[in-house]
Amino acid sequence: MMKVYAIIVKELKEYMLKPGAISWGIVFPLVFSLAFIARFGDIDHLVPGLVSISALFGTTSFVSSSIIFERRLRTFERLLLAPVSYGEIILAKILVGTIFGLMVSTITLLLVLHFMTYPLWSVSLTALNLVLSNLTFAAMGVYISLAISNPINVMTWLNLVRLPMMFTSGAIASLTLFPHWFLPIGLVTPMTYSVDGLRYGILYYYDVVPPLASALAMVFMTLLFTLLSIRALRRLY
Amino acid sequence: MSEPIIKAVNLTKRYGDFTAVDGISFEVRKGEIFGFLGPNGAGKTTTVRMLSGLTTITEGEAYVNGYDVKKEKVKVKRSIGVVQDVSNLYEELTVEENLRFLARLYEAPMENVSKLIKDFNLPAKKKFGKLSSGYKRRASIVAALIHDPPVIFMDEPTIALDVRSAKMVREMVRALNVSGRTVFLTTHNMVEAETLPHRIAIINHGRIVAIGGRNEVRKLVGNEVRVRLKVEPLKSSIIHALEGYSPAFDEDSLVLKVEDVDAFMDELEDLKRKLGFRVLHISTELPSIEEVFLELTEEENGEKGCACGGCPL
Repeated sequence: MMKVYAIIVKELKEYMLKPGAISWGIVFPLVFSLAFIARFGDIDHLVPGLVSISALFGTTSFVSSSIIFERRLRTFERLLLAPVSYGEIILAKILVGTIFGLMVSTITLLLVLHFMTYPLWSVSLTALNLVLSNLTFAAMGVYISLAISNPINVMTWLNLVRLPMMFTSGAIASLTLFPHWFLPIGLVTPMTYSVDGLRYGILYYYDVVPPLASALAMVFMTLLFTLLSIRALRRLY
Repeated sequence: MSEPIIKAVNLTKRYGDFTAVDGISFEVRKGEIFGFLGPNGAGKTTTVRMLSGLTTITEGEAYVNGYDVKKEKVKVKRSIGVVQDVSNLYEELTVEENLRFLARLYEAPMENVSKLIKDFNLPAKKKFGKLSSGYKRRASIVAALIHDPPVIFMDEPTIALDVRSAKMVREMVRALNVSGRTVFLTTHNMVEAETLPHRIAIINHGRIVAIGGRNEVRKLVGNEVRVRLKVEPLKSSIIHALEGYSPAFDEDSLVLKVEDVDAFMDELEDLKRKLGFRVLHISTELPSIEEVFLELTEEENGEKGCACGGCPL
């Protein structure tokens, strides 16, 4: 685990202030949340979605920014040449993305809490769902960043996944407001489980997925994306 | 003869239908600088990547420091330091932070960091991204030494460096070798090929076309030696008499291609008496590694150039 810790510290020092991480990982989710606050004022029902969007963009922007740089500058090969396993490299990337995403999504949460009418229902359940959301998104971001053959195209593909998810997950408008045929699309969207999990922790209700199922789905997706990332890394080198 | 520290047996790498390295076999002896020469795309870097565990081996076997590259990757990685053809340390980290990070990955003692910084006169507190290209390369070489490996792979270590920095890197290579390390050096820089390696291999289209000591390899392109001759007075009759040796001018000397030096010397003595001239200077030269390289790789490519040796025609 010392090697994983060393990689995490290195990543934070090296990539925290990279333009990709700042613009898409910090500025976009915060401005997006502020825009909704300014437009609606009473934003209770939007808070889980806004926090989830922050987690999604914070984690995926950080991990993709670091992987794009490392693949293009070939610093990734430094890790691969060292006596470090693929699993340790992927774990470090996922954890550092989770840490960065937690920072961004916690700031968003603290910001939007000021504009909520009702108090936050459960701090511990919210924190648990926040951690699971960030883990899921970080693992997904790592997988996408490694699965795309040309690193220049990673951010484009990532946005192709992230932007529609903001709508197909019920983050902006509840899935119950959509026609029935749309529900399966919502259920195959990883972000749906994050939004509903956070909705339960923050507001004490859920739209379509019960809280335990959301948590289990996020654990399953984290493991799945971790394994897929390891396989993608093996294929890449 | 010392024992092999790197051994490749029928080493092959395929990318789909394309064969980058085609069943090469060779050994590198402990404590030598082994030059691995080849034109761009010949398979040099792919070979290094296979031997260092950075890419999978399609077929064949490879052993480094006694460890099987396929089965004992971690042991191989602990035995080698790799200097790639790009200076790829982390730009936002200082030189010291970079080395400390790598020391943690290799579980090397932290004292190595301060010792290497001092020994190689590196600016410890300067960010890697702010260094000149020469210092970046120096830091990259030092990074490969953090765990004190017995084998160093260097892939085009002087590429894109100015003359002074390239000289500094060559001095580092020699120093590493003097300290007992085996250096596997891939290059297409002929100054390096001529001066650094104890033995060389030339690879072209994924196959080894020559291997051995420098002089052994030179002999592969024929037994001719070049005789450089300076005579006084230089007359057309002398040139005419030496026509069988393909005479050419290089500044104020005649350069001749000679197979049997003894027979040539006898003939020269006869000519001296007959035509009345003095020999001011005579020396013999083997073909340069560059000439051998071009000859072997051109033959393979079927692109033999014109006889004038690279004229613009």
